[in-house]
Amino acid sequence: MAGFLARRLGAAALVAFGVATLTFLLIHLSPGSPLAGSGENPYVSAEAIEQMRRNFALDRPIHIQYVRYIANLVRGDWGMSFTMHRPVINALRDALPNTLLLAGAALIVDFLFGIALGTLQGMRPGTRLDRVGSAVTLTLYSVPTFWLGLMLVLVFGQELGWLPVSGVVDPVLYPTRTVVGKLLDRGVHLILPALTLGLIGAAATARYQRAAMLEVVRQDFIRTARAKGLAEGAVARHALRNAILPTITLLGLALPTLLSGAVLVETVFAWPGMGRLAFEALQRRDYPVVTGAATLVALAVVAGNLVADVLTRIADPRTREPT
Amino acid sequence: MKHGALFCAAAAAVLGACREAPSCPGDWCGTAVLVSAEPGVLLPPVTQTDADSWITAMVFSRLAELGSGLNTIGDSGFVPGLAEAWAWQDPTTVRFTLNPKARWHDGRPVTAQDVAFTFDVYRDPKVNAGARPLLEQIASVTPADSHTVVIRFRRTYPESFFDAVFQMWILPRHALDSVPRDRLSSHPFGRNPIGSGPFRFVRWTTGQSIELAGDSSYSLGRPGWRRVIWRFIPDVPAGVTQLVAGEADATSALLTPELLERLRGAPQLNLTPYALPAYSYIGFNLRAPGRPASPHALFSDRELRRAVTMAVDAGAAVRAVLGDLGEVPSGPFAPWLWIASDSVTPLPHDTAAAKRSLDDLGWRVDADGVRSSNGRRLEFDLLVPASSAPRRRIAVVVQDQLKRVGISMQITELDFNAFIARSQAGRFDAAFLSWVSDSPSPRSIRQTWSTAGIGGSNYLRYSSPEFDRLIDQAVAEADRGRAATLWHQAIAVINADAPAIWIYVPRPVLVAHRRFVNTALRPDLWTALLWQWRVNPEALTERDLVVVP
Repeated sequence: MAGFLARRLGAAALVAFGVATLTFLLIHLSPGSPLAGSGENPYVSAEAIEQMRRNFALDRPIHIQYVRYIANLVRGDWGMSFTMHRPVINALRDALPNTLLLAGAALIVDFLFGIALGTLQGMRPGTRLDRVGSAVTLTLYSVPTFWLGLMLVLVFGQELGWLPVSGVVDPVLYPTRTVVGKLLDRGVHLILPALTLGLIGAAATARYQRAAMLEVVRQDFIRTARAKGLAEGAVARHALRNAILPTITLLGLALPTLLSGAVLVETVFAWPGMGRLAFEALQRRDYPVVTGAATLVALAVVAGNLVADVLTRIADPRTREPT
Repeated sequence: MKHGALFCAAAAAVLGACREAPSCPGDWCGTAVLVSAEPGVLLPPVTQTDADSWITAMVFSRLAELGSGLNTIGDSGFVPGLAEAWAWQDPTTVRFTLNPKARWHDGRPVTAQDVAFTFDVYRDPKVNAGARPLLEQIASVTPADSHTVVIRFRRTYPESFFDAVFQMWILPRHALDSVPRDRLSSHPFGRNPIGSGPFRFVRWTTGQSIELAGDSSYSLGRPGWRRVIWRFIPDVPAGVTQLVAGEADATSALLTPELLERLRGAPQLNLTPYALPAYSYIGFNLRAPGRPASPHALFSDRELRRAVTMAVDAGAAVRAVLGDLGEVPSGPFAPWLWIASDSVTPLPHDTAAAKRSLDDLGWRVDADGVRSSNGRRLEFDLLVPASSAPRRRIAVVVQDQLKRVGISMQITELDFNAFIARSQAGRFDAAFLSWVSDSPSPRSIRQTWSTAGIGGSNYLRYSSPEFDRLIDQAVAEADRGRAATLWHQAIAVINADAPAIWIYVPRPVLVAHRRFVNTALRPDLWTALLWQWRVNPEALTERDLVVVP
């Protein structure tokens, strides 16, 4: 296991370096400049723009900028944001926990609903439950994320008034709440975005889980278990352990989407996470933030895949190295 | 705060986390939740975005403020800010007496040394303040004593007083004196500022909100709100949802007619459209794309530009796309500027005259409906920023209007950054440009449209000696009546030359909860008078009564 981990960590460093390089080059080569924000204010003088160019070191050749950026990155210096006037690492540090919280909650919704529904459907193929389940999951899977978010906001936020429509906490009452009150405040604000992000993932997970279950329930050991008179619950448990492997792989694949692809959900719910940070930075051509966010998300994804691999090795003895 | 009920039920079940709403202590209550994007920095010399300016205007203050007439010539109409009085010693020297009650939010008095320090910061090239070029005519800012400061100008000019008071938000010397100037913009002060304005900075929760507290000792009087929360919701539809759901109280936003309809469905909100200091126009490149030494094959022809302009019905296009959220300007300025007048009119929409003119110029309609002359088709490309929905939609309407007179216009949508980069480089036939300024002075017209602006913000490379001469005279004229006449003459010249089609002045909507009264608004900066807003004591909500320990 130690050798396996060392190899994977080495690969992670290489991936981070590759992503930082690629993002750096792509964003610098894309049309537009971080100084264009002043492009519609007639009072910004050419001299001021030139000064900004010098301040951001954009007047240097791109290869010099690149070498400087990577050298600083290795030393742990992620640079200064052009638009936020603060170190990139601070901006990332503020955004990452929000994204991890949302992604974590969404993953729980995703896998709890997805695996439960897929397993139930797979155990009873062709029944009404299976047909209704398939219709629901297919519909959910086809729905655009932002639309589902808007509908949930409309129903539970605006019409029923049960849940807050956006933000991480209630900024008016939060400072007055007790510790438990603060936790609950965060909890109620998490419900709608986590459901939006999680339900669509759950639809896909359920489809995979159902297919995997169908494979497994046809196998001899399940027939044997049933023939021996094992209770259906116990049979399902055995089947699930065998059918869960593809779903665990899916977990690794879900992470990139949850960490970086949540831009729309973060926009609809004004959730201050990595997706929104990177998207806004991209619009303003805030090069250091874009590159920093991409590198951090790449690292998180590599870490996520590592976790998925370790889980697979735990769940499936065949993938372990002989000791 | 309907979800409060659910929250309280849940919380009470665990620990009784929700307290009873306390009653208003004393006679001062009120919490306003305002919506904006997240600012980048709250340090006035280096603010860039709307959110930066909106919030710094509540925390900091200036020597004097614009009056309701938004006059920028001389000192008439200006109202006291940090300075309670001023007097001209001679035409180039003005002496300000600071209000002795003026205090920084950390309790120290505001002094003349702070004003001198502020000028020094704004003029320092290392700080790169946006207003730096506008302070060029100030020779010195000298403290006479701790409450008197003398400002000397290099020469007399009509807007000298305006520049001296409007361009600088006064900074606390004691907090910033030791900070190296090249590190000022990234200094923690910018995220935890000490000002002397009506509201004290409390906290900035990154990505979520900024909290301000009313300063009960503010020198001009106590603000109406005890507490202000700025919620960061950069996405306009999401902000509208907040307002409709009752989770936010006020904002100023550029809306689509659909979003305005949604807001109209919320009975608790008052909606007031007003005009922004901005204007959008379809500008013709007078030089060949990417080759400024050569004239443009089409648009160097004044008569052709006039014909294209007359073929466009800007009013119909704006009504179709923006309803009453936009209006057609009569020149390159917002309609509330003091130079606006009914006597200034753009070229009229006249399809018949446009067709006649094109015929006279030798452009004949071909079988495909597009005109051509000497084998050259009458077609051009219009650059549009994809980020602006109104400009994208209006471009399509204009495309159709031009098609009817035999002109083919292709629309190229570009990412905003790429759009600006190409516009600045002059690589376009026509571009749907826009200027936004936070200044009520008409001087920006000179920057964008005079020959001196070529290489700066005059992307179209428009150059008219007659226009330049009139503008120079207008800027130098101290008599407001005579200055207005000169401005009108200059605008008549540019309108006749038609370097651009003036399309619309965006009308943002001021959204405010009905419990707020005395909701004064200054169109150049909607947050400038927020401190005068009051909460109707008969209509206090639970939110107004919340007291932070």
